[in-house]
Amino acid sequence: MQLAINIAVLAAIYALIACGYVLIYRVSRVLNLAHGELMMLSAYLLLTTASLFSKNPLIALTAAVFLSLCVGVLVYLFLMRRMTGEMVLAAVLTTVALGVLLRGLVVLIWSAQQQNPAQALGWANYSIPVFGAGRISAAGAALIAVTTLIYAGLFLFLRFSRYGIRMRAAGQNPLLAAQRGISLHVIYALAWGLSTFTGAMAGILISLDSGLDSTMVLIGLKAFPAALVGGLDSLVGALLGALIIAAAEVLMIYYVDALLSDVVPFLVLILMLIVRPWGLFGTREELDRV
Amino acid sequence: MLKRNLIATAVLAGLTGATAAQDAYNVGLTGALTGPAAGTYAPAVDGLRIYIDKVNAAGGVNGKKINLILLDDSAQPARAAANATRLVTDDKVVLLLNASLSSTYAPVVGESQKANVPLIFASSVCPKDVYPPANALQFCTTAFAANYDSRAVLDFVKATAKAPVKLGLAAMAIPISRGEIDYAEELAKTLGMTPVSKQIIPPPTPDYTPFATLIKEADANWTYSWAPWVTQVRTLEGLRRLGWTGDYIAWSHLEAENELARLKDGKFYVVGANALFQDDLPIHKEIAAAAKAANSQYPVNQMTEGWIAGMVIEAALKAAGWPANAEKVTASLSNLKVDLKGLRGGELQWTKDNHFRTRQYYRVYRWDEAKGAIVRVRDWAAFDVK
Repeated sequence: MQLAINIAVLAAIYALIACGYVLIYRVSRVLNLAHGELMMLSAYLLLTTASLFSKNPLIALTAAVFLSLCVGVLVYLFLMRRMTGEMVLAAVLTTVALGVLLRGLVVLIWSAQQQNPAQALGWANYSIPVFGAGRISAAGAALIAVTTLIYAGLFLFLRFSRYGIRMRAAGQNPLLAAQRGISLHVIYALAWGLSTFTGAMAGILISLDSGLDSTMVLIGLKAFPAALVGGLDSLVGALLGALIIAAAEVLMIYYVDALLSDVVPFLVLILMLIVRPWGLFGTREELDRV
Repeated sequence: MLKRNLIATAVLAGLTGATAAQDAYNVGLTGALTGPAAGTYAPAVDGLRIYIDKVNAAGGVNGKKINLILLDDSAQPARAAANATRLVTDDKVVLLLNASLSSTYAPVVGESQKANVPLIFASSVCPKDVYPPANALQFCTTAFAANYDSRAVLDFVKATAKAPVKLGLAAMAIPISRGEIDYAEELAKTLGMTPVSKQIIPPPTPDYTPFATLIKEADANWTYSWAPWVTQVRTLEGLRRLGWTGDYIAWSHLEAENELARLKDGKFYVVGANALFQDDLPIHKEIAAAAKAANSQYPVNQMTEGWIAGMVIEAALKAAGWPANAEKVTASLSNLKVDLKGLRGGELQWTKDNHFRTRQYYRVYRWDEAKGAIVRVRDWAAFDVK
């Protein structure tokens, strides 16, 4: 039972992070390599809002998530927008530079010391029994719940809402979408905002579960294989990819060697790239663009 | 803010270093003042800076100021190499210091050896070369010590455990941590304990629960971790979330005092060579007052390592006299006794062959739920370093 819970929590972490990669790639074909840094920034923003609203943790949480969403939109408006029409590689390299900048800023502003947002909010991370045989932390349970809600919400949004349909249209054929009157800049800004929002939820919940330091960036990187294994343009793929990567990692810890758990996501990724380079749910057409 | 102060100090010191050299003791440090590793080193370096400022304000050493030049290497070997070269060739330091990751050691040691300038590892891991028989130019003030720490920990566990010890072990997947936990595993067997699970945890790990699960399922009643703080404490938290109620013992890093108070876990012990501020010694009050006056934004209870390094530098320069050169400083370091005023269990003594310390002392602390405070569980236990 505990094995299943451990896989579920890790899969939720990876899925929540991976969907941020997918959202931006699906809409704009840009691989956001600053996603881990944006996720970390959100967790640090929570630290600040927690000190500002120490008596109202929910307000602090809401403010941090809202600020993160704004950061995503602003990154697009002031940085990525200028990359429109340029080579995709230029845009990707811009995200690399953004990541380096954010890493430096985080250490300068909040220091490299260990932080505990849960303590700042006055929250305890309780242990919850599950079916008597296993246990899950409150933050771990929240991770699973939030991941489920976000994926369900994104599914409904992309399928049925006006802007969701426009996002899909812009992703499929930006030229045609623009000719039909869809404002690509609005759609791209929305994608960046949503992507940063989902990354923020991941960063915040991870930091509530196990604290915060600047190595969180690397967790963002570890989730990247999940997005690629599932197919970079598929949210369902990201979900399944996260589950596969998490299961491989935890099973490796349990039954083979914990040290290999660090490399197993990338082994799975290499295997997938050999067998099916466009991922489980990705489309072959996208491969050229990658 | 403090980080900016440190960097500004570093830049200013760098600009003025060479000119100030004429009439002061030039001492240069390369350290991880920024970057992911800075949390471990920057507070100690700030403690050192404050100590040296205090010495200078009181008239310096032998009537001369100490010109402490701080250079940031962000724990990058290439930057550390450039810093060391600059400190030795441009600033003509009589003493080098390293406060950074072990990956920066090789270039700094190389520069130290080439220029015959002594090198002190302050707050960074003590390399093998400082233990007997020591390299003539390498010294270390840092509290923790491979092998001796595990001896102290397991000695305490053996004395404290009420039942046969089934020991869980947790390390970070870095050579020094793995090596120490491997050593502890073997040592535990000789002490009649049964190691039941050893987890080598890769950094960074999003969720420590799978590792903790294995320790719990192995039915450990004690768990020992000797690793960077993040691994130590997150493994403990993972175990507690799984409902594990055993005793947990770990190395007392800089963060220990604040973290003991945060976790409030009566069965979480930390073993360390530095007295925690809860001991409230006069020297602690002195550090706190100096840090406050210097407007430092680092927790004062994380400055002990830097303060000790400062005391050692002051004593060494005093013994070297004026004018000093690297040779004289090396000679004084190789025959040094420094009264640490209770920050450690005894004086720090270096001899020609032993540049670590001749005796290493350990104290054990934990959180006391009844008192609502950190308490000392075991007073200084001494181990001879041979």
